[in-house]
Amino acid sequence: MTALVRAEWTKLFTTRVWIGLLLGACAMVAGFAVLFTSFAGNAESGLPPVGSEQYEELILATAANVTVLFLILGIIGMTQEYRHRTATPTFLTTPRRGRVVVAKLVGYALAAVPFALLVLAVNYAVVAVYAGARGDAPALTGDNLRILASSGLALVIYAVIGVGIGALLRNQVGAIVGGLVYLFVIEPIIRSIPATSGAYKWMPGGALEALTATFEGPDLLEPWQGGLLLLGYGLLAALLGTLLAVRRDVV
Amino acid sequence: MTGFLGPNGAGKTTTMRMVLGLEQPDSGTATFNGARYADLPAPVRTVGAVLETAFHPARSGRNHLRVYCRAAGLPLSRAEETLTQVGLADAGGRRAGGYSLGMRQRLALATALLGDPPVLVLDEPANGLDPEGIQWLRGFIRHLAHDEGRTVLVSSHLLSEMEHTADRVVIVGAGRLVREGSIAELRAGAQGPGTVLVRSPEAGRLADVLGAAGLAATRGDDGLVTVRGATPADVGARAFAAQLELHELRAESSGLEDLYFRLTAGQEQFAATSPSTSPGTAPGAGTADPTTPGAAR
Repeated sequence: MTALVRAEWTKLFTTRVWIGLLLGACAMVAGFAVLFTSFAGNAESGLPPVGSEQYEELILATAANVTVLFLILGIIGMTQEYRHRTATPTFLTTPRRGRVVVAKLVGYALAAVPFALLVLAVNYAVVAVYAGARGDAPALTGDNLRILASSGLALVIYAVIGVGIGALLRNQVGAIVGGLVYLFVIEPIIRSIPATSGAYKWMPGGALEALTATFEGPDLLEPWQGGLLLLGYGLLAALLGTLLAVRRDVV
Repeated sequence: MTGFLGPNGAGKTTTMRMVLGLEQPDSGTATFNGARYADLPAPVRTVGAVLETAFHPARSGRNHLRVYCRAAGLPLSRAEETLTQVGLADAGGRRAGGYSLGMRQRLALATALLGDPPVLVLDEPANGLDPEGIQWLRGFIRHLAHDEGRTVLVSSHLLSEMEHTADRVVIVGAGRLVREGSIAELRAGAQGPGTVLVRSPEAGRLADVLGAAGLAATRGDDGLVTVRGATPADVGARAFAAQLELHELRAESSGLEDLYFRLTAGQEQFAATSPSTSPGTAPGAGTADPTTPGAAR
């Protein structure tokens, strides 16, 4: 299994997809952090002022807004095997296809850890400089640290979910578009309609919010429950993908 | 070395993919050394396969090979060794997406050779190669099979590619086994009448003479007469007896190619379906060759 995980890393780092997605995630996080901080305390923006507890919790969870890029990283990692037909040599080398899926889940989870740490570092560095210039840089202690870490954990889990969705759907464009439509169309609607908002806390978006959100929102699970539920969704997709899609004939 | 022959659409690729566990057969099993491919303890070190050429276009040829070295637990040095073996050592650092068709086939061969397997399964490896590439490939496969003693199963839709290299051939048509045996056995069965081309300034009389002798002779342009089911000796003897001047006398195809054609004719999917499914819209296809057995079946 170690050999297969290392093979996945070789695949990941011998194309440039990871650089683009990682730089994009860093740029987005930096941009959001600057945006939130510049309007912090502005009466019309509704954002809490720099130095307040609410501001610090909000600004240190910025990374949770770029989970979609880690989702795409996982989706591409799995679906490129079908898109470029490398599934054939991959499954010839490892005829037990479930092992390939497990290696991808483990490989992408582990690779996402340093990626997530970099995103968190950018997040904190920008906030420390900008909020520091405005009078009060957040301390990395207690709740602040927990929120920063949960956001990073969310990034790692979304990479795992991406691999799972990719295994289930196989089609790269379909998986990415489907993921985006779900995250930005379906879930917000379910969240906003009172009749269905009760179910929202059990859905991936609700689980992510439970893990990372700080504002008063809808009824949510505990953070650790949210994290587990999110991871469960990723593994469920991978399991279904292995049983239903990956075993199918490669054409 | 075994040649796996059949027209396009006969089921060669599907068979090879089933043998390698990439597709599930409805029934039956295929084994290497007594084990199904998926059950082999070290598949890459037992069987090497060239199917469609598959690689990530942005990854270099060398890195492509390294991926499978890692996955199969082989030393990374095998990537360099197989690149050299197939003559790609200088291009190993370039993106595989920029490779020519011939280089892609070489990279696919290098992938198959990573584990130095005693068995090779090659699906139409000559497809799309230029004449120079085909010549290199023939020599390379012969070297792998005869000098290095590997077992090679290689598919093709051309008998001529196999006639001088394969020890045995398996011929399939429309998903069924048609004939199997050594080239020598097949040739023995193919000895005898084929199609003869004969040219004479007195083509009309020649056709009459041959027809009178019970041979199926048809006149073409420019004094050409095509005789089916005959040998050049038959035709020459009749012409000589009738004191007819001949300018050309030759067998159109070897008996072996004739046999391959007869065995598989009309079993190409296009030829088998187009006359019956669209008789009115494609008169050219329907009447192209009324003697094709497939049209009558």
